[in-house]
Amino acid sequence: MPDTAKMLDRYRRMGAMRAFDEACLDALRRKAIHGELHVGLGQEAIGAAMFEALQPGDAVVSTHRNHFHALAKGVDPRALLAEICERETGLCGGRGGHMHPFDPENHFSATGIVGASLPVALGYAHAFALRGEDHVAVGVTGDGGSHSGAFHETMVMASARDLPLVVLVENNALAISVDFAAVSPTSTVAERASAYDALGLHVDGTDVDAVTAQFCHAMDHARSGQGPVIIEATCCRFRGHFEGDPEHYRSRDERNRLRAEFDPIALYADRLTEAGVAREDLDAIIKSEKAAAKAMLAEVLADPLPDPADALAHVFVDDVFVAGAAA
Amino acid sequence: MSDRRNDRMAMGLPAVIAESIALEMERDDTIVCIGEDIGKAGGVFGATAGLQERFGADRVLDAPISEMAFTGMGVGLAQAGMRPLIEIMFVDFIGVCLEQVYNAAAKIHYMSGGRQRMPIVFKTAGGNIGSAAQHSQCLWGLFAHLPGLKVVAPCNPHDHKGLMAAALRSDDPIVFIEHKALLLQKGRDFRHHPDIPDRAYTIPLGEAAVVRQGSDVTLATLSATVETALEAAEIVADEGISVEVIDLRSVVPLDTPTVARSAARTGRLLVVDEDYLSYGLTAELSMRVIEQIGLDGLRQIDRLALPDVPIPAALSLEQAVVPGTDAITAKLRAMAQGN
Ligand SMILES: Cc1ncc(C[n+]2csc(CCOP(=O)(O)OP(=O)(O)O)c2C)c(N)n1
Repeated sequence: MPDTAKMLDRYRRMGAMRAFDEACLDALRRKAIHGELHVGLGQEAIGAAMFEALQPGDAVVSTHRNHFHALAKGVDPRALLAEICERETGLCGGRGGHMHPFDPENHFSATGIVGASLPVALGYAHAFALRGEDHVAVGVTGDGGSHSGAFHETMVMASARDLPLVVLVENNALAISVDFAAVSPTSTVAERASAYDALGLHVDGTDVDAVTAQFCHAMDHARSGQGPVIIEATCCRFRGHFEGDPEHYRSRDERNRLRAEFDPIALYADRLTEAGVAREDLDAIIKSEKAAAKAMLAEVLADPLPDPADALAHVFVDDVFVAGAAA
Repeated sequence: MSDRRNDRMAMGLPAVIAESIALEMERDDTIVCIGEDIGKAGGVFGATAGLQERFGADRVLDAPISEMAFTGMGVGLAQAGMRPLIEIMFVDFIGVCLEQVYNAAAKIHYMSGGRQRMPIVFKTAGGNIGSAAQHSQCLWGLFAHLPGLKVVAPCNPHDHKGLMAAALRSDDPIVFIEHKALLLQKGRDFRHHPDIPDRAYTIPLGEAAVVRQGSDVTLATLSATVETALEAAEIVADEGISVEVIDLRSVVPLDTPTVARSAARTGRLLVVDEDYLSYGLTAELSMRVIEQIGLDGLRQIDRLALPDVPIPAALSLEQAVVPGTDAITAKLRAMAQGN
C-alpha cells in the first residue's frame, strides 16, 4: 500500500519549490532583481529529497543554483526571496543576492564560483568530526563542477579521513552549453567514487521517491562514519542556464521534449493518481503553493531597498577605516 | 555616415572581437583557443562566435570547468611553441587558476633569463552589471601588481579589435579584460566610436588615446568608465567646464606621458577607476604623473574608484559604490571651482 499522505507531502514540497522559483522569475520581470538569475525548474525532486534526508545540525553548501537547497535546509523562504529581490529585509540585507545566501545558524551557504562549494563542505565535515558531532555536510555541485580541481581534492581529503561528507552532483547534462558526455571521461560521476574508495550512488533525479531513498542512504552511510559519498542525481534543466540565456546550444523542440518527458512534478502526479489520488486534489495543491508564493512576493516587493548610506558596512567586524568612504 | 560605416557600427562588440581573433587565427595557425562555452555556443557574450565552425573543435576547444588544468595548458602550449588564447569567462574566476597565471605565465620569461617566451592571451570579462561580489570585479589592478603581465582593458570596438590583434601577436603574457556592460553594446551605442576597418590591424599596447579634448580638467580612465566619463564631460560642458578625457586602454604598459602632457596643460588631473581604490590604478597613475611633471605642475589632483568593499548585490548599494556619472560630474565641478 503506498503511503499517500507521505507522497502528497513530497508532491507539495516540489510544488512549493517550483512556485518559489516562478516567483523569482516574476520578480525578475518586474525588475526587482538586476543581476543574473539561475532557477532550478526541473530539479525539484532533488530538493525535496534533500529536505527529507537532512537532519537539523547538518550543513549544506550550495552553488549558483541554490534556491531549492536553501529551502530544503530550512532557510526562511521570505528572507531568501527578499535577499534574491535585493531587499534590506533579505537574509543578508541585500548584500549577497541570489548567488550568495548565508544562513550561519542554519549551516547553509552558497557560492557563485563553480566547484568552490565542495571544499567548504569538507570544512564543515571536518569540524563535525573534530567535535564528535553526528552531523553530515552536503556539498552540492552540478555535473560541470565535478570536473573542477576542487572536486578531486575534496574527495581525496574526505575519503582519506573518512569524513561525513555527501557530495551531491545534480547532473542536468549541461554546464551552460557544454554537454556532460562531450567532456567527461566517465559516463557517470558516481563511478569516479571507486577511485577515492568512496561510495558512489547514481539515481534518477526526476523520481522523487528514488532520489529520496538514495539520498537517505547516502546520509546514513556518511553519518555512521563510513566515509564520504558521491550521489549523482540525473535531471533536466528546463530553462536557460541563466535568465536571458539565448540557448543557442539546444533547440526549442529539445527543451520542450525534456519538459514533457522528465518533469518530476508531472511524473509524480501520474504516480499519485495511480495510487488513487484525484487530479483535482493535486491541482489544488499546486494552485495553493503558487498563490502562497505570489503573496509572499507581493509582500517582499513592498520591503525597502538597502540604504545606500550603509553600503560600506560589514567589510570587517572591527571598526576599520574603509578607503573610499567619502566618495 | 556611409552605408558601410553604418553596417560596421551595427555590429555588437562581441562580433568585432571574434572578427579580430578569426583574422589572427587565419594568419597564424599556432593560435589555439581554449575556454568554457567558447566553441559550440560561441562564448557567453558571443565574442568567439563562428570560430569553432571555421577553425575546428581542436583549435577552438570547449573546455570543462577545469580552469586550473586549461590555464596551465596555456603555459605548456606556449612552451611547446603555440600561441594560446585562454578564456576565463569572468575575471572573478581567475581565483581558481591564478597559480598558473602569476607563478608561471608572468614569471617564466624572467626566470628563464629571457629564454622561454610566454605568448598567452588570457581573455576575460570584468565589470559591474549587477551580479554582486563574485561576478562584478575588474581586477586589472591585481594583475598589474604582479610583475610580468601586460594588462589591457579597452573601451570602444575599434580598440578591442586592434588591441586583441596586438595581444595575439605579442610574445608576452597578456590579460585582456573586456567589460560585460560593453559586450552588450553595438558600435553605434558608444559615444566615441572610431571606424572599425574590415582588415586586420593592430594598436600598439601601451598607448593611451585622447577621446575628448578639453582645457580645464584632465580625466584619465579606461574600459566602460570611458563612456561614463564622456557622458559626464558632456554634462559639465554645458556649465562651461572643459574636460579632456583620456582612454588609457591598458594598465600595463601605462601611458603616463600622454596623461602628464595633458595634465600639465590643464593643471588638474582626475583619475577614475571602476576597480578597487587602494593600491590601484588611481594612486599609481597620480604618482607617476607627479613624478613626471612635479607637484608644482598640478593645481589639483583627485581620484574616484570603487571603495575597498566587496560589490553588493542590491542596486541601491551598487550604485552607491561604483563610480557613475553623478559622482564624476560632482568631482569635476568641485575641481573646476577650485584653483
Ligand atoms: C570557477 C568558475 N568557472 C566558471 C564559472 C561560470 N559558470 C557558472 S555556472 C557554470 C556552469 C555550471 O554547470 P554545472 O556545474 O553543471 O551546474 P548547472 O549550471 O548545470 O546547475 C559556469 C561555467 C563559474 N561561476 N566559476
